[in-house]
Amino acid sequence: MSMTIHPITMHINGKPVGPVPVPEGIMMIDFLHEYLDLTGSRLGCGQGLCRACVVILDKRDGSSEEVRSCITGAHFFEGKKVRTVEGHAQRNEQGEVVALSPIQQKFLEHYSFQCGYCTPGFVNAATVLVEKLKRQPVTKAQLDDTITEGLNDHICRCTGYVRYFEAVKEVVLSTPGLVKDAK
Amino acid sequence: MTKARYLRNALAGLALPLLAATLLSACDGGSSAAASAQATGQAADQNPVKPGSADQIALGRYLTKAADCAACHTTASGAPFAGGVELASPFGKFYGSNITPDKEHGIGKWSADQFYKALHDGVTPDKHLYPAMPYTSYRSLTRADSDAIYAYLMQQKPVAVPTRAPDLKFPYNMRFGMMFWNVPFLRDQLADASTGKSAMWLRGQYLSNALGHCAECHTPRGAFGQLDLSKSLGGSALGRVAAPNITPAGLAAVGWTAADLQTFFATGIAPQGSAYGEMFPVVHLSTQYLSKDDLAAVTTYLMGDQPLPPAPVKAISADAMELDAGKRLYTAVCAGCHGFQGDGKPHVAVAMKGNSTVRNADPHNLIVAMLDGIEAQKFPGTESLQDMPGFAGQLNDKELAQLSNFLRATWGGQPGSITADQVKALRLTTAAH
Repeated sequence: MSMTIHPITMHINGKPVGPVPVPEGIMMIDFLHEYLDLTGSRLGCGQGLCRACVVILDKRDGSSEEVRSCITGAHFFEGKKVRTVEGHAQRNEQGEVVALSPIQQKFLEHYSFQCGYCTPGFVNAATVLVEKLKRQPVTKAQLDDTITEGLNDHICRCTGYVRYFEAVKEVVLSTPGLVKDAK
Repeated sequence: MTKARYLRNALAGLALPLLAATLLSACDGGSSAAASAQATGQAADQNPVKPGSADQIALGRYLTKAADCAACHTTASGAPFAGGVELASPFGKFYGSNITPDKEHGIGKWSADQFYKALHDGVTPDKHLYPAMPYTSYRSLTRADSDAIYAYLMQQKPVAVPTRAPDLKFPYNMRFGMMFWNVPFLRDQLADASTGKSAMWLRGQYLSNALGHCAECHTPRGAFGQLDLSKSLGGSALGRVAAPNITPAGLAAVGWTAADLQTFFATGIAPQGSAYGEMFPVVHLSTQYLSKDDLAAVTTYLMGDQPLPPAPVKAISADAMELDAGKRLYTAVCAGCHGFQGDGKPHVAVAMKGNSTVRNADPHNLIVAMLDGIEAQKFPGTESLQDMPGFAGQLNDKELAQLSNFLRATWGGQPGSITADQVKALRLTTAAH
């Protein structure tokens, strides 16, 4: 196949991006790193297994889902709305971080991560999970399994799983409306 | 139902004595077994193995793997040979039986003669078997090999797990009907799809037809579930993933060589792709354990003494807009693993270039793989391939058709003529309905 250049346009973290001319076969992670200087998403395994690279795709129906950016072409996101790990914290007009998202804050408080390489993926996974629970609350009895299912595909080589889990559970239980029978 | 009506008519209208006489003649096993033994060069008197000896048990272990008994008689979480594997069919569901030496639930009370009769005639001490147990293929097993398998199984740990009864519709739930089924459909010898007469070809014939029972999945079946021996190994869609055409012409058409086929049987992965669907357990449980000589024999039998050369991928002219749409989809959701140029990634995903599923004129498996995905698989040695996600929820029928057409026209040498309706039909299909 011959290599051709296709311009690409999308929304990233609420801002319009493009059109940027990029090679047609470029993966989303490379587009983020090399063209937009958004280096927060981590290239881990490069084959869709570790999920350090996931970004959030905001769908038209109001739902959100994780997409592995290392094995998904940048052009898959043409015209779509994407969030990366850089898009969670609140920033002032100068672009400086003034407040973390609840998930990020709890990850810090729980010492959930050590080396931090998997953290962008976990932040996105947990954010997607919280947003899903806003749409589809679960009972307290279902919560542990729901969190496990939401985070399970993400790999942390420092084995911070328990602290990630506990941090997410705390966010969910302290956010009104996510658990049906929360006291 | 035509099938049901036929069977009722057959049961009501045929004379039982005549059938019984035919049945007896059809099941005259001694001569056919001897002929089979001669054909494989393994006549018992030429290769004596002392009954009950370590040698016989070791041979039985090898033959049990070659016959792929575990595929149906061992579940993923169950005890070895304790049964329970579900086999769906158009007639209902069958479940692999307990073949451990447990006296109540297994074959602990069977003699070697009775075991041979089950393999050869499809008749156990207390019932007729359904041909979901491939006695139609095992019929060609030599008595010596049957005895070796029996000796090995009798060495296994008895497991007190009852065999689950089949869940069959009327009239198929009437076991005695198998007596009448066996008369026209139980054959001493299966038809050969290839030609040959070398010792290697004859050994391969025995390994493929009798032990490996390749025909049971790869040969189309008629209305009564019988093998259509006029189309031996011509391919069949019994399950969700179709068993492809493995005749010499069928193998050559999608680029197989003898060396690649041996590699595939030994490791599950070849330049033409990896084993998936129901072929994965065949490699996992059976063919990987065959000796190099036996794999060469199987390959020789399948391809013939004079193999056809692998067909090159034809250049295909396709609709440019359709191709471009498919290419965009490919680069978006496939190229990350299968490579932008279709070369695949070692230990991650197979190549699309030269892939036998992509090259297959029948798009069934290509579409099913994209809809359903393929589970992560561990292959012999340290090789593994990660799971391929299914795209049924991500891509619509039109997009999957475009993707299929791009793959077929670019790397498959097949026309880009797949329609959204073809995808839709498979999307609605459930496994082995």
